[in-house]
Amino acid sequence: MIEPSRELRDVCAVVGAGHSRLGRVPGVSSLDLLVEAMRNAIADAGLKVTDVDGIVCRGPDESYTHHQQIGERLGINARFSTSLDNGGASQILAVALATMAIKAGLATTVICGFGRDSWSRTHSSKEANVRNETRPASQLAREFGPEYGYFGAVAAHAFGATRHMHLYGTTRDQFGEIAVAFREHALRNPDAQMKKPLSIAQYHEAPPVVAPFGLYDCSLRSDAAGAVIVTNRERARDLRQPAVSIKGFGTFNNLRGWFADDNMVTTAAKNSGAAAYQMAGIGPNDVDTAQIYDCFTYMVLAQIEDYGFCKKGEGGPFVASGALRMGGRVPTNTSGGQLSEAHCEGMLQLVEGVRQMRHTYPAERQVADAEIALVSGHGGNLVCHSTLILGRT
Amino acid sequence: MSDTAIKKPVPRPSPESTHYWQAAREHRLELPRCNACGQHWFPPSQSCPHCLAADFTWTPVSGLGKVFSFVTYHRVYHPAFAQEVPYIVALVELAEGPRLLTNIVGAPPEAVACDIPVKVVFDDFEDGLSVPKFLPLNAYAK
Repeated sequence: MIEPSRELRDVCAVVGAGHSRLGRVPGVSSLDLLVEAMRNAIADAGLKVTDVDGIVCRGPDESYTHHQQIGERLGINARFSTSLDNGGASQILAVALATMAIKAGLATTVICGFGRDSWSRTHSSKEANVRNETRPASQLAREFGPEYGYFGAVAAHAFGATRHMHLYGTTRDQFGEIAVAFREHALRNPDAQMKKPLSIAQYHEAPPVVAPFGLYDCSLRSDAAGAVIVTNRERARDLRQPAVSIKGFGTFNNLRGWFADDNMVTTAAKNSGAAAYQMAGIGPNDVDTAQIYDCFTYMVLAQIEDYGFCKKGEGGPFVASGALRMGGRVPTNTSGGQLSEAHCEGMLQLVEGVRQMRHTYPAERQVADAEIALVSGHGGNLVCHSTLILGRT
Repeated sequence: MSDTAIKKPVPRPSPESTHYWQAAREHRLELPRCNACGQHWFPPSQSCPHCLAADFTWTPVSGLGKVFSFVTYHRVYHPAFAQEVPYIVALVELAEGPRLLTNIVGAPPEAVACDIPVKVVFDDFEDGLSVPKFLPLNAYAK
């Protein structure tokens, strides 16, 4: 059995974190949003941009040479730089690559980030709003989909929700609890896109989109970017912020497809999480807060099962118990998540995981005594997954 | 103005799927079947994803299967489907193994469930093109 190297545990730390303006940011490209987040992360760390010698990032799906464009805007060369292609799983993969590059001596200080302009893109015309598609036309299916009226990420994930409901009796009430809990968290976050409370009655009254998903099962359309800075732990000691240790990471990719095997119910989070737990030397009972890739309510439920917070099939009762709320068993998406803060393809989950480990939030936003944060990334054609485990020490 | 009515997207075949769509025009559901390991696969490609052999035969399948999962579109993503909502998009697992994305026809959404048996029917598009869809084999079937 191959096990991830424990030599990477606690070698590097996240020393800076930042986000851009979130939500509706008209007239700003995804590149400039990302540079805004990176500028904030560099300032947060107390570094100069010239201290950065590595870039691992990702932009919109049509973007080629993305890291080169970011380096040009930052005004730096890099010893190590690349842009990634694993969808929403890329953002944690960037931190993993940064750690490996630093351990290998290829860089000392790596900035990782992702930016998107999905609010602006889907509001550029009435047609764009109807299509609700952020991918370029050249990447959309030409057959085995559009002729059946099959479009968009909502339906793809809803297939998993239907199957889970069939196998385990999971209910929309349970999905609704996830949306309501994360909205409650967002109300504690002044930067969150959503500002009003959401009740379970409003959840059920909202129009269906692609059943079993209604409006509030779906994440937001956002202009948003986030960035973090990774360096080794010795350097981290001299910097402005409490260093947040990178304890473990893992990836897994169900490349046989979302529709293959049992992948829409037991997701790649299972193997991605197992690798991260092994590297970190911990298990699910050690996790104090989780920042889960919540493109849809169901994906939270599936992943918390895959991560072992409860058994497969018991996610519905687990979330209904209030486990994901502040004060619950594993407070999850404490900044509001993609359902209520802003959708930045997992990047803001990473930023929030770092901030929870610093213990610098006011009490209402801080998960009390949290020592370990788990962060998840999910994406591509719903099959790429990554997990990051952060520690306060 | 009727001739400017918005049409549904038609399949735009790749080199690998040309045969599939040609057979569908003749109301036959045919999949690649491996001459080495005997298994079928979908979507079409030039080598077997079960054993990587590149030797296969286009083979008619039974057209019988069951609903692995399904969703119901209420939102209109493409104007050509404005009159269709609510419509069902399903993943059907064929008796031969492969899973096909398709529509369930001849039954309202409340009559569809995971694991119900279905059989293929062909929905003729324009220009002789035909698309395989599936009909539940139960009391709701027309």
